[in-house]
Amino acid sequence: MSRSSAQPDSGPASPRIGVYVCQCGGNISDVVDTATVAKTAALIPGVALSKVHAFMCSEPGQAMIAEDIRNEHLNRVVVASCSPFLHELTFRTAVHRGGLNPYLYEHVNIREQVSWAHHGDPAGATVKAIRLVAAAVHRLRHVEPLEEIRLPNHRRALVIGGGIAGMKAAGDLAGKGLDVVLVEQSATLGGRVNELSTLFPAEESAAPLVRRLNDDLQAHPRVVVLTETVVKAVSGFMGNYDVMVGPAPAAAGAASGADPQEGRHLTVGTIIVATGYDYYRPAEGEYGFQRHPQVIPMPEFITLLARASGETLEWQGRPVRRLGFMHCVGSRQIEGVHPPQPDGRVNDYCSRVCCTTALHQALAAKRRFPRMAVFDFHQDIRTYGRGHEDYYLRASQAGIMFFRFHGDDPPVVEPGSNGTPIQVRLKDWLTWGEEVVAPLDLLVLAVGMTPRDNRGLVSLLKLPVGADRFLQEVHPKLRPVETAVNGILLAGTAQAPMAIDETLASASAAAAKAAVLLAHDEVHLEPFKARVDPEKCVGCGVCFAQCAYDGALVREEGQREGAPITRAKVNPGLCVGCGACVAVCPTRAIDLQGWTLNQFEAMVDGLLSAPQPVAATNSNPVSDGRTH
Amino acid sequence: MAHVVNPDLVQDLKAFGARDIEACFNCGTCTAICPLSKDGVVFPRRIIRYVQTGMEHRLLCSLEPWLCYYCGECSETCPRNAQPGELMMAARRYLTAAYDWTGLGRRLYLDVRVELGAILGLAALVVALFVLLGGPMTTELTPEGGVQLNTFAPAHVIELLDWAVGGVLAVLLLSNVWRMHRWIVGGETGLKVPLGAYARGLSTLLIHFFTQKQWLGCTPGLTRITTTRWFKHFCIFAGYVTMFVLIVMFLRWFQTDAVHPVWHPQRWVGYMATGGLLYGVSNALIGRWRRREELHKHSHPSDWIFLVLLWLTTVTGILVHIFRIHGLPHATYITYVIHLAVLVPMLVIEVPFSKWAHLAYRPVAIYLQQVVQQARAAQAANPSPQPQPA
Repeated sequence: MSRSSAQPDSGPASPRIGVYVCQCGGNISDVVDTATVAKTAALIPGVALSKVHAFMCSEPGQAMIAEDIRNEHLNRVVVASCSPFLHELTFRTAVHRGGLNPYLYEHVNIREQVSWAHHGDPAGATVKAIRLVAAAVHRLRHVEPLEEIRLPNHRRALVIGGGIAGMKAAGDLAGKGLDVVLVEQSATLGGRVNELSTLFPAEESAAPLVRRLNDDLQAHPRVVVLTETVVKAVSGFMGNYDVMVGPAPAAAGAASGADPQEGRHLTVGTIIVATGYDYYRPAEGEYGFQRHPQVIPMPEFITLLARASGETLEWQGRPVRRLGFMHCVGSRQIEGVHPPQPDGRVNDYCSRVCCTTALHQALAAKRRFPRMAVFDFHQDIRTYGRGHEDYYLRASQAGIMFFRFHGDDPPVVEPGSNGTPIQVRLKDWLTWGEEVVAPLDLLVLAVGMTPRDNRGLVSLLKLPVGADRFLQEVHPKLRPVETAVNGILLAGTAQAPMAIDETLASASAAAAKAAVLLAHDEVHLEPFKARVDPEKCVGCGVCFAQCAYDGALVREEGQREGAPITRAKVNPGLCVGCGACVAVCPTRAIDLQGWTLNQFEAMVDGLLSAPQPVAATNSNPVSDGRTH
Repeated sequence: MAHVVNPDLVQDLKAFGARDIEACFNCGTCTAICPLSKDGVVFPRRIIRYVQTGMEHRLLCSLEPWLCYYCGECSETCPRNAQPGELMMAARRYLTAAYDWTGLGRRLYLDVRVELGAILGLAALVVALFVLLGGPMTTELTPEGGVQLNTFAPAHVIELLDWAVGGVLAVLLLSNVWRMHRWIVGGETGLKVPLGAYARGLSTLLIHFFTQKQWLGCTPGLTRITTTRWFKHFCIFAGYVTMFVLIVMFLRWFQTDAVHPVWHPQRWVGYMATGGLLYGVSNALIGRWRRREELHKHSHPSDWIFLVLLWLTTVTGILVHIFRIHGLPHATYITYVIHLAVLVPMLVIEVPFSKWAHLAYRPVAIYLQQVVQQARAAQAANPSPQPQPA
C-alpha cells in the first residue's frame, strides 16, 4: 500500500482530527474498553483529541463535538458509535453546526460490528474498534469538503392513468398550485369505477363520484388531460424527466389517414403511476366458469342487477330464484390447489374488496328481489373497512345463508339435480364439515384484483414489481407511495388491491409526496457520485459497458493532445454512486466523490498501522470529556 | 349423502317464535356460555345451524332442545343479538308439533284463532253437557252446612269422564312419545339399542320427571334455591301433579259433600297443592308480563294461553271449595261448571298438542340420551362384524 504515499495528499496540511467514542449506555462499553480506544486513538497521527461519552448522540454529546470544533480548531471528526443508518446524519449535522463542512466526518460502527458481534472477546473487540477508528482517521486525512448536488427541478407532475386514483392525484396537485399532465389511454376518465353502480359503504352512485372528480379537474387551468394517450418513452431523473407521450395504439389506428403522430415531449419533475388493476379472469372450469353459462364473474352481475327490471331477476331468460356468491375467486390461492398464473405463481394475496362487494351485491339483490334465496360461500369474511362489517350483519339479518369452505378443499360446481341448472357442493365447516349441496340458478364469482399487464411502462420507468406482480413501494410503512426510482410515485390499485376510499387516500398521499418533491426550484442530491477527471480520461469507453443506469454516463466530444476524443462525463442526476465505472477505468480517471480510491487505500493503511492498545488508567472517569 | 340446503326451514321456525336467528354467524359463543351444553350434546349452535341450512330431519332427530332450560345466558351474550335461547324455545314448540301425528298441534301453534276457537268450543261442550246431563241443583245443605255438590255432579260420574278423557289423551301423548323416540334413536344410522339399556334408564326417567333437577345446572352455585326459576316451576309441577293424582285416582275421596276439619288431609293436601300452583303460575304470568328475565322477554300466544288456563283452573277450583264449605249452592255449581269448562280444554289442547307435553318430552329426552349413550358404548365395546360405512 505504498501507492497512497506516492499520491499527493489531498487533505489539509495539518489535519486536526477529533475522535469521539460512544459507550451507548453500556451497549458498547460493556464489551469494548472505550477509554482504551480513546486513549489509543490519540496516538494516531493527525488526531488532535479523543473523548468518550455515555451517549454521544445526546444533545450534550453533539454540543461537545460542535464546541471542540470551534475551540480546538478541529478540521475533521470521527464518531465511533452505532450503525451509520441510525446516526450518521445526526453527527454530520453536529459537525456542520460546529462550522465544518458536513462531509469532513467519518462514522465508525463499533456497536453492531464490534460490541454486539464480539461480546465474548472484549480484548479482541477493543483491538478491532481501535483498528476501525484508525482506518477512519487515515481516510479523513484524504477527504475534501463536498457540496450537495443541486439540479433544476421542473415543477410539473405527470400522472399516468385516468381512473379515480389518477384523477384524484391530479386534482390534488393542481389544488396545490402545481402543473399536472394527466394521460389516460382510453377515451374517458373514471376507469373501472365507471362499471360500478352503487358503492359501499355509503351507497352513493358511482357516476356522480366520477363526475365530481372530473369537475375538480376541469376547474383547474393547471391540469392538462390527454385522453387516448400513452407514454412512449421516458428519460431523465427526478426533477428532470423527459417523457414522450403519443396516441394510444387503438386511437392511433382510428386516426383517419393522418400522419402517425410523433410523440409529444413533456418535461416533468415527478411521475405518479396510477394504472389501476384488472379483474381476475377465472380459468376455464374454475368453479364451472365457461362450462356452465350460469356461472358469471362479479362485474357482469353488477351490470345485470343494475339493469334488472320487473318482478324477478332473469338470467338468459330463466328466473333466478336461487343466487349464489363464491368468495376468493382468484385470491388467497393455494399452490397445488389452484391453477397457477402465467408466471407460475398463484395469487396468494387477499384482494380485500371482494368480500364486501359480494355482501353488498347479495344484499342489493335480496332487497330488490325479497323472495330470492341468496347463498354465500366463503373461506372467511374479511369485511375490514369502516362500515363494511355492517353489510355482513345486514346480509345475515336479511336471511342470506352462509357456508364456509376450507381453502384447500374448494367447492365444486356441477349440473343441478334438484330442478336448478347448477348446484354447488361443498364441505361446510359451519356444519362440522358436512357435505352440503346448494341448488342454484346463478352463481356469481367474486373475482379478485390482479395487477395490470404493464410490461411496457414497467420497463420504461424501471418500476420495481413485487412478488405478487403489483408495483412495489420502497417501504410499506415509512415510504408507502414512493418507488425505489427517485421521483416516481404510486397511487391506487397499481400498487395493491384497494377499495375506493383507500384508492383515493393513496392518490392524495402520492399527490402530497409529489408536492414535496416539487416544492423547490432545485433538487438536492447527495454528492456521492462518480466524477471523471478529463485530464486522465483517454476515451477508451470501458466504463459505459459497466454502467447499469441509463444516462448516468454521457459521452462528451473533446480534444486530447490535438486529437478528437470521446470522453465520459457523469450526469449526477442519474448516477447512483455504485462505483462500477471506477473499478474498470484503466487510467484511474474516475473516482467516487467522498469514497475515492485514495481514501480506501488510506483506510487499509490505517487498519494495518493501528497502534497497540494503551491501557487507560482506572482513575479516568467516564464521559468527563477530558482530552487524552 | 350430501344434504340439500333448504332455505325455508328458518321461516317455519320463525312462525314458531324464533326471532332474529338469521343474524347468527355461527361463532359458538352461545354454546361456550351454555352451562348445560357439553361434549356429545352441543347446543344451541348445532340446532341453529340445522335450522339455518334447513336440515329438517336432523332437527327432528335432535333431543338438545329438551335439554335446554332457557337460562338466557346465550341470548344475553350473543354478539349478533340472534336470540339463540328463543330459537331453542321455538324448536321445542316445533318438535312438540312435529311429534304430534294428528297434525293438530301444528295448526294450534301456528294460528292463535284455531287455538282459541278449540278452547271455546270445548268449554261450550262442557257447559252443554252440564246443562243437559247435570243433576238437580239442590239448595239443601249438608249437616255441616256444606253444599251437596255430588248431587249436581256425582263424583263417580265425573270420575268416569276423567278416565275417558285421560285415556284418550294418554294414548295420544304416548303415541307422540313413541314418534319422538323413533326419531331420536333411529336418527343415528346403524345404532342398535339393547333392551337392557331401556330398562336401566327407567330410574333416570322417573327421577328427572319428578325433580327436573337438570334445570339446577343452569343456576349459579350460591343462588338460594327458593329464588330459582326451578323452584317456582317445581311449585307448579308439584301442585299440578298432586291435584292430578287426587282428581284422577281419588276423586271420590277428594270431591266430598262432607266438610272435613282443617287438619284432615283432604283439605291441607289440597291447600298445599293449590297454593303451590297459584304461587308458581302467578309468578310466571307476572314474569312474562314484566319481561325482565331473558326467558320471559318473548311470549308466544301458546305460552300465555297455557298459563292463563292453568291459573283460571286453580282459582276456580279454590272458589268451588270456598263456596261449597260456606254453603253457597248456586255459586258452587256455577263455579264448578266454569272450573271444568277451563280444565277440560286445557288438558285436551295442552297435553298431547301443546306446551303441557313437555312434562313428558323433557324427562324422556334425558332418558333417551342415556339410552343412546349406553347403546353407543355397547357398540364400541362389541363392534359389529359388518364393514362400517365410510
